[in-house]
Amino acid sequence: MNVQRIHAIFEKDIKDFMKNMMLITMPFIPIVLSLMYTRFSDGGVLPISMLYIIVGATYSAVTSSIMMTMMAEENEKKTLRGLVQSPASYVDILVGKSLVVALVSFTSLLISLLIVGIDPFLNLKDVIALLLLFIFFLLLGIGIGLFSKSVASTSAYIMPVMFLFGFTPMIEALGIGKESAVSQVANVFPLMQAIHVHENNSWVSLGIIALWSIGAAVFAYICFKKTTTDD
Amino acid sequence: MENSIEVSDLHKSFGKKTAIKDVSFHVEKGEIFGLLGPSGSGKTTTIKILTGELTQTHGKVTALGTDASRFSTADYKSKIGILSDNSSLYERLSIYDNLKLFCKLYNVPLKQIDVMLQEVNLHEERQTTVSKLSKGMKQRVMLAKALIHKPELVFLDEPTSALDPGNMAHIHRSLQKLNEAGTTIFLTTHNMEEATALCDRVAFLHKGELQELDCPSALRYKYSTHAFHVETVQGDRLVIENVPENANRMKELIGNGHVKSIHTDHPTLGQVFLKVTGEELVS
Repeated sequence: MNVQRIHAIFEKDIKDFMKNMMLITMPFIPIVLSLMYTRFSDGGVLPISMLYIIVGATYSAVTSSIMMTMMAEENEKKTLRGLVQSPASYVDILVGKSLVVALVSFTSLLISLLIVGIDPFLNLKDVIALLLLFIFFLLLGIGIGLFSKSVASTSAYIMPVMFLFGFTPMIEALGIGKESAVSQVANVFPLMQAIHVHENNSWVSLGIIALWSIGAAVFAYICFKKTTTDD
Repeated sequence: MENSIEVSDLHKSFGKKTAIKDVSFHVEKGEIFGLLGPSGSGKTTTIKILTGELTQTHGKVTALGTDASRFSTADYKSKIGILSDNSSLYERLSIYDNLKLFCKLYNVPLKQIDVMLQEVNLHEERQTTVSKLSKGMKQRVMLAKALIHKPELVFLDEPTSALDPGNMAHIHRSLQKLNEAGTTIFLTTHNMEEATALCDRVAFLHKGELQELDCPSALRYKYSTHAFHVETVQGDRLVIENVPENANRMKELIGNGHVKSIHTDHPTLGQVFLKVTGEELVS
């Protein structure tokens, strides 16, 4: 890992991000959602599942979507190959790009949580869960971005990611019973496990989120290796 | 002389399709080496193997003393420069910002940006956004990007394909200057004039096989009919074979003041390629 190279990629991506109208609007999605939820709650305390939907919206609509679009664009325009052909390592490239996404994601998340109430998240296990969730959504974005090969095709993946992983607690709103198979499967999803961490102070749930992150890391690694050579 | 590239029995297959068949050659240090061939002949595959973008099926490949298995290391990458069909630029950023990124990745002082922009004749446009540049200007920026870290070995895949004659001549001068400073250049081109003007040696690749390898003048001589084309002051055009029996005839023509011009019959490199492969060298 080389700090100078990571900084170079970070600096380039920040400039590119500021000039990309499609990406620059994404961090406002969870903020607007938070403002709407606060208005609906009429000053009352929001249920914990609603708070985690804000978290899920931030990570899916900001973290995953921005990373997905950035990687797909690098892949489509062949600029990623230029980075790979330079002395920058895979880690330098991914960390440099991830820092931009982290900066934007955490700014958006912080503002959103300040609007809806940040207090429920102020304990160690919840913070760890939030960080693991971020890593999961980030790696998912990298993998899908490289897999989809073009910016246009990422739109086909953004919605499923948002609904499956970003808005998982909304499954209750579909009227599916808690004992149904769909609910049981959804219960293992990372955002639901983060709610379990909050409600039960569970280390097991943190472990499950970590497993999801490892799975996403393997997926991202395979996609990156496939993209960076022509074999 | 020390070799920058050594390729021995290189073979590359994609499934059942063979792209390169047992190709062997070497490139001497400080040489400009041209790999010529039509589309699909295996030129780009060869460059991709030499730059670590592809792995050979079998055969031994080394460049700058590095084995092909180590082409992905930062040490090798910092010694080579690449301009290929996979090269690209960040469209929303300026020329300066694009080159700044690569200066930092290669740990090169930022003042090198101005030097390179002078070389490719784009200094005035340094703050222009890349999306506003013509195809030829982008090609020149990509060349500047490939050379910004003063690599020991440069791979250029059709480096002047999108350039007008003026800028092509400018780039040729820059490449010759770079070569005089000791950089080895490995290039592919369809432009025979470019190959003749720039390359110390050229190799003809056809259907994945190496057909010829020598310096352009030697190849042109080898495939010449060795005849003199004589134009007389009377307007006659004579073809006289370069054999001892014709010495007196030539002496007589010159002695009598009948000769307006004499040319040897050396084919162009393109004509040599046609003779060797039976195919025109077109993209």
